[in-house]
Amino acid sequence: MAEGRGAGSSLSGAVVWLALLGLALGLALLQVRFPVLHAYPADWQLPLGDWLNVLMQWLVDHTKPFFRFLSWVMGFPLQWVSDLLAWLPWSVSAVAAVLIAYQAGKRPLAIFTGVSLLYVLAMGLWPDTMNSLALVAVSVPLAIALGFGLGVAGFFRPRVERFLTPMMDVTQTVPAFAYLLPILMLFGFGPVVGLIAGVIFAFPPMVKNTIVGLREVPSEIIESGLMSGATPWQLFFRVRCAAGLRQILLGVNQTTMAALSMIIIASIIGGSEDIGWKVLSTLRKAEFGESLVAGIVIALMAMVLDRITYGLATREQDMDHDKGFLARHRFGVTLLAAMIAAYGLSLVVPALQVWPEGWTVDPSGPLNRGIEAFVIAAKPVLDATKNFVIFAFVLPLKIGFYKVVSPFTWGFTPTLWHAAFYVVLVVGGAFYARTRGRGGLAIATLSFGLILFFGLTNMTWPGLAALLIYFGYRSGGMRLALWSAAAMGFILISGSYDKAVLSVQLCGLAVVASFIIGSGLGVLAAESDRFSRILRPINDTLQTMPPFVLLIPIIMIFKIGEFSALLAIISYAVVAPIRYTEYGIRNVPKEVIEASTSLGCTRSQLLWRVKIPLAMPNIMLGLNQAIMFGISMLVISALVGTDDLGQIIYIGLSKGNFGIGFLAGIAMAVIALLSDQFCRAWQKRSEARLEGAYP
Amino acid sequence: MKRMRLGLLAVAITALTLATPSVTLADVPESPDPIKIAVNEWTGQVLSANIAAEILKKMGYNVELVIAGALPQLAAIGQGELDMNPEVWDNSVTEAYTNGIASGDIVVLGELGLEPREGWVYPPYMEELCPGLPSYQALYDCAQAFGTAETFPNGRLVGYPADWGTRDIDVVTAIGLPFNVVPGGSEGAMLAEMKGAIAAKEPILMMFWQPHWIFAEQDLNWVEWNPIDGECVEETQAKDTACGFAQAHVQKIQGREFATKWPAASAMMAKFTLTNTDQNAMILEVDQKGRPAEEVAAEWVANNEAIWSTWTQ
Repeated sequence: MAEGRGAGSSLSGAVVWLALLGLALGLALLQVRFPVLHAYPADWQLPLGDWLNVLMQWLVDHTKPFFRFLSWVMGFPLQWVSDLLAWLPWSVSAVAAVLIAYQAGKRPLAIFTGVSLLYVLAMGLWPDTMNSLALVAVSVPLAIALGFGLGVAGFFRPRVERFLTPMMDVTQTVPAFAYLLPILMLFGFGPVVGLIAGVIFAFPPMVKNTIVGLREVPSEIIESGLMSGATPWQLFFRVRCAAGLRQILLGVNQTTMAALSMIIIASIIGGSEDIGWKVLSTLRKAEFGESLVAGIVIALMAMVLDRITYGLATREQDMDHDKGFLARHRFGVTLLAAMIAAYGLSLVVPALQVWPEGWTVDPSGPLNRGIEAFVIAAKPVLDATKNFVIFAFVLPLKIGFYKVVSPFTWGFTPTLWHAAFYVVLVVGGAFYARTRGRGGLAIATLSFGLILFFGLTNMTWPGLAALLIYFGYRSGGMRLALWSAAAMGFILISGSYDKAVLSVQLCGLAVVASFIIGSGLGVLAAESDRFSRILRPINDTLQTMPPFVLLIPIIMIFKIGEFSALLAIISYAVVAPIRYTEYGIRNVPKEVIEASTSLGCTRSQLLWRVKIPLAMPNIMLGLNQAIMFGISMLVISALVGTDDLGQIIYIGLSKGNFGIGFLAGIAMAVIALLSDQFCRAWQKRSEARLEGAYP
Repeated sequence: MKRMRLGLLAVAITALTLATPSVTLADVPESPDPIKIAVNEWTGQVLSANIAAEILKKMGYNVELVIAGALPQLAAIGQGELDMNPEVWDNSVTEAYTNGIASGDIVVLGELGLEPREGWVYPPYMEELCPGLPSYQALYDCAQAFGTAETFPNGRLVGYPADWGTRDIDVVTAIGLPFNVVPGGSEGAMLAEMKGAIAAKEPILMMFWQPHWIFAEQDLNWVEWNPIDGECVEETQAKDTACGFAQAHVQKIQGREFATKWPAASAMMAKFTLTNTDQNAMILEVDQKGRPAEEVAAEWVANNEAIWSTWTQ
């Protein structure tokens, strides 16, 4: 009975799909006659941007003194910390950093930290690095305090959490550039404003981890706390917080990472002579060597702080309170003693006070010459690759095969016969998939066949909306259908449709490429420990180094344009699929693998039939993250001359028009959140399928 | 049109500022507060700011150099958090600037004296591929020499980033040039493409501006246009009489309070000028020889006392 109904619904589903695809095809053909189908009419849009500007102006007029006061107050700790770090001899700071690293991760981490510091010193970037560190050192505690407070409030009051969750999703997916302008209007100008932008961007992970940490404390622990007569206050801090500490500390770790990624953006607002400014000003001159040298400092800072905070978070907690003061604070005392000793020494040996200029090196010259030689040597080969990708994928997805194919690109003039051949190919492929029982694949083939023929920009907006909403319904029921309709509605009404389509086109291609490359590399890394060891530092660098730095060599080879933008996005988004795929495959239960091997599975059968299907939920999570990272890179890729939502954010920034930039930012957030919903729906399905297969 | 209005306004405001009674050096500094000078991302501006700072210090003022992005600085000057900027290019600024001037929050002190040039540049080897250069007329016939597979059969022109406006597209459309304009994205991206193209001796045509340090590092030629009397109107020129681009003005600006708070400093800044030659020579020292901008600026001040001492009287 149940089976019969399932088959019936899938048949009628196929009919609806075919009807909608037919509708989209018809609309696409009719758009020449009815331009209203092609471009969503301006009369049907709402001046949301103007409303936002009015709202913002009102907010600024009424609250400016308060925010100005806040930024005045926050200027003091920042000044103190940066003065302190500037005053401390490098040897004292370095000794402290290495000792803390040892405490967090024993010898390997201490050595890594030491080498990183040596790099900073040798490159002569110590003062700049200390200024950036001061910014992080002040913004992280503020973000942690704010995040912890909100997290606790969210834990006790579900209503607060329901309010916070979408707010945080928006602050994390709206690009920071979109809210730079209001921050400037409210808080004024200078390094403090960078600090505030950092706090706003960095606190959400702390809230999430605090709520999860507090919630997942086992009830037995709470009960035993109650039995031993703890007051509510004690129960919260001594029992619940202590038990959830590890999760909360992971929040600290992620908050630190987020704050670091704001260093560059903080320097765009202006401020101190820090490492972000160094990267920015060398990028402006397209000095590859110099910007790489400075960019690596940021990557190293991120890696060291990540390992240290992660190490401290996952370290076994020493809960023994019976020891004496010295025993309990042995680390603190050692640290202080070592710092005092280093300070004493630096008074005698001036080289320990300020790193001598003669000891610095500058590898940027050879780096620049190297990249130039590489450009000359590699350009012809790489140009051919670029043209292939552009004519076979980028342009068809954007404007469609019917416009792309020409003697200049594909070497022949398209005729009706070619079009007929294309239709036969697509329909035949779909039919073949259908006969093999892969109905979903058949629909996908038809949809992409249609989209690639006309191009996303020439698919009419009602056609795309209908396909999207029905796709939402099929993937996640009524809820996701409503989500899709709301997202599409917002993008149309706000007038972001044209740019949003271009963003989806660019981002979609980059995400698909990242996912294919990334999950492939992830599988290799899971199968080979040596490959995994080689890949890890590359991953870390790609994800922590400011993505701007890679743009220079990419543009030198591939020129300004979409292909460079594509590569920039891929270089950042590829890391998530690599990590999640490797993690998923490595965490397939040993028993399953042993059982399959004993049944005589070959290695490739084991991989394709057992490991990959079991790792699917994690692989899908990697896809989800790749989409998020890809969308967040749209702002960066606009610096390579793309024409999407990211570009609107800069135009808003340069016009001082908060509304248009922020609307584009929200449109990007809407796309990101909708993709997230789709990914979750698919993930749920693949988990359900797994449970069906391995009860 | 907008530019002309702006120019008139600037003249009016300058006249007003100059009309304030001059003060003798004995009163200096009128206020012990530091004069906050904006420092931007490009070397030329860093030098102008440092020279102004050096002279103001010699007059007895407290001076603070504040690193500020080209965009946020205008808001900051308007709100009185920064006090002045000796080098603002009025073609790359936007509503924030015009609104600031209209409301009086930003006061234009007059031009710095740099003679900027904007237009299309190409490396000399392009003249072999397109013999009619540097005349713009040649571009009609050898568009394909500048083309790539993506723009074929049109040529490819790298324009200004989209957030700097669409002037290059306006000109190409107005004179019907068979070129596709690719937005440059950012200054860094434009320079990266320029370096890559020159290294591989590939065709390139790019919208650019001077003074810029790239001219000290690379050999670049300008596309020449028909000479014209007065301002060139970019949107309405025709193929046979094309004049190219309206040229920018480099202005000195200060905040609303500046002239009343530090009158002598304001009077000095109104007279402050620099030439292309001076700035290009200093830019070369900084960008090519790696010397600190402060040092090069201080050297200029030390060697040119005869010039700036007339500004401080």
